[in-house]
Amino acid sequence: MLENLQTLILTLADDDLFMGHRHAEWIGLGPILEEDIAFASIAQDETGHAQAYYQILTDLGLPSPDEWAFRREPQNFRCAHLVELPNFDYDYAVALLRHFFYDAFEKVRLQALTRSAYEPLALLAKRLQSEEKYHWLHARTWVERLGRSTEEAHRRLLAARDLLWPYAWALFEPLPNEAEMVEAGWIPPSQTLQEEWFALIQPILEPIGLWKEPPSSSELAPCLGARYGQRSPYFDQLYAEFTEVSASEPDADW
Amino acid sequence: MSSLDPRIQRAEPRLSQITEVQLEPLDHWPIYEVFVQRTRGGHAQHVGSLHAPDPDLALVLAKEQYARRSQCVALWVVPTEAILWTSAEDEDLFQPATDKSYREPQGYLNTRERLEKYRDRLKPIS
Amino acid sequence: MPKLFLRCSLLGKGPSLGVARGLKRRTNDRLELSEKPYICAMYGNHVVRPEDIENWGRKVHEEDPEKLAEFEARIDRGEKIEPHDWMPFEYRRQLIRLIEQHAHSEIIGALPEGTWITRAPNFRRKLALMAKVQDEVGHAQLLYSAAETLGKSREAMINDLLSGKSKYSNIFNYPAKTWADTAIIAWLVDAGAIINQTTNSKGSYGPYVRALERICWEESFHLKYGYDSVVYLATGTPRQRAMLQDALNRWWRPLMHFFGPPDQQSLHTEKLVRWKVKLATNDEMRQQFLDMYVPKIWELGLTVPDPILHKDPETGRWIYADPNWEEFWQVINGNGPCNKERLAVRRFAEENGRWVRDALRPQNAHYVTPLA
Repeated sequence: MLENLQTLILTLADDDLFMGHRHAEWIGLGPILEEDIAFASIAQDETGHAQAYYQILTDLGLPSPDEWAFRREPQNFRCAHLVELPNFDYDYAVALLRHFFYDAFEKVRLQALTRSAYEPLALLAKRLQSEEKYHWLHARTWVERLGRSTEEAHRRLLAARDLLWPYAWALFEPLPNEAEMVEAGWIPPSQTLQEEWFALIQPILEPIGLWKEPPSSSELAPCLGARYGQRSPYFDQLYAEFTEVSASEPDADW
Repeated sequence: MSSLDPRIQRAEPRLSQITEVQLEPLDHWPIYEVFVQRTRGGHAQHVGSLHAPDPDLALVLAKEQYARRSQCVALWVVPTEAILWTSAEDEDLFQPATDKSYREPQGYLNTRERLEKYRDRLKPIS
Repeated sequence: MPKLFLRCSLLGKGPSLGVARGLKRRTNDRLELSEKPYICAMYGNHVVRPEDIENWGRKVHEEDPEKLAEFEARIDRGEKIEPHDWMPFEYRRQLIRLIEQHAHSEIIGALPEGTWITRAPNFRRKLALMAKVQDEVGHAQLLYSAAETLGKSREAMINDLLSGKSKYSNIFNYPAKTWADTAIIAWLVDAGAIINQTTNSKGSYGPYVRALERICWEESFHLKYGYDSVVYLATGTPRQRAMLQDALNRWWRPLMHFFGPPDQQSLHTEKLVRWKVKLATNDEMRQQFLDMYVPKIWELGLTVPDPILHKDPETGRWIYADPNWEEFWQVINGNGPCNKERLAVRRFAEENGRWVRDALRPQNAHYVTPLA
């Protein structure tokens, strides 16, 4: 039971941890000052959410958030590959569309978690919703506009969509022992969340020509396994950078 | 370029290929003025301006630049272009030329005195 | 809701009440915004337009003596100058330069510490560093806005930064080699910035003073975070202490340069002092910095790489070794370790974001100077 809870919490936390980390790569490098500032807030929020999720485990006597984040073997992470992807070529279309797919997913996931039978999770999800509300507002305001703007913007968004599509789908890979989690009332099935996610993003993406048929199983396959400890090819470099300072003096305080 | 910042390293080779940048007018979008209402019951107050392409994004972006730390219950944005203002030369328009204490509480400090005098006159001479 | 006086006046042409030019008459209760910018929006293009500024290019001694006297009397009374006031052209020019440089320093200042965001060693530091660098970008935004009120567009300022024409604080041309560098920067460079900003916040120009009030408040978090980070390293492992001392050794000379050349080497600034644009001398601020922070550095058991640094017990002034002003001039003229990289990164950010800004730019936009 505790193992299932740990899997669930780590999934939630690890997703936010690296999403925040990837967003933070843009701080000081954004397309315009005002957006640089806004996106930096989103990066901080996600990182803070990760810390709050880990804290649920810490409160049960398990390691601290810093230990969860900075001291784990790659195969013990449960993050989706989507959040491990680099900011390819510093293309803001990729950054925005990933943020769009991810925060639509968060909206749907958090809403479900507010009804979780596991009370600490339900309470936390309720608190996090106010920040996620902003993330979703930010994401859809940008994508709606860019999608209707110039040919170049649309071209970039299409390319970003093609790159991110199977990874976005893989967000809904069922968790290990998901049936037991569903039974316990902790979370609805991933399939349900995926349907809600479609209902949320299709009306936005379709009118601006960014909708697409589902990825084929061969497109999807490399993105799967994340919830079972399989990392993307990008993880090692990501985590080496993430832990460069903390690992230099492992037992030190910073 | 071998930067100490891995983020900058990852922006190569494109980063070093950009040698000259010239921004045209309005490249950074038009300007909006921002008002924040800090508490329920308070006035919305001007706090600054920002560059945005349209009102919705102006609101979205203003939220973080002007309300990420400060207490805020509501946020307004207005295109600067829509605002009219009085000129500095006309600051004297706000100076009253004559005594207008008739419309201020301190214009009525002597009322009590009149009443006292009247009551004194009415007192029987003993 | 106070009644709005509609203002219609070109400088020097006298007031007239009425509908501002460019505003169409009310029809069907909807106010229609016309194509032309309102006359009250004084600047139609992205550079200071000489034809809009009546005293453009005038030297101080050429200014209308009555207006100048009124202007200076206002400053003497401690009142603020606001964007639409008459001001000597020299005042406008110097303030644009000062505020613009400050804005550039903030956006460039985001880069040394930004180096370590992805490698911050725990949640608390990672979050705080993200917030601090975000603040620097935010400060740049506030300061560009303040400078814009004087009539130079943000685009013109950025062009001048990227072409090398406008300067920024020298200290950001040095590399942040280790995590400990971020701690030293956040503590001591921000300490220097606070002294500068607190001093300038008593200045005469309204928009700059308002921006500085918020900046000073946010900087106080930076200072606390920086000091906290330094203390953890100073009280940590031998390697952490060594990393910290090494960082301090490398940043000391740039810190001594931070407040600018010694007073006797500086240009004459009487007018700037008179107009409350420059409120303290370089040496005064440097002394304040040394007085506040050298004891704190020593308290941590760190050494300062200056063999003669001490406070003269009689004069109360700090005596220090010559920090090699030749290096200062070299760096400010483009030959510092990171000058090329800093500008290259900002060029990249602007160019990389161009398609985004282009995509959303409204078709019939007009440039209007921000109000305050």
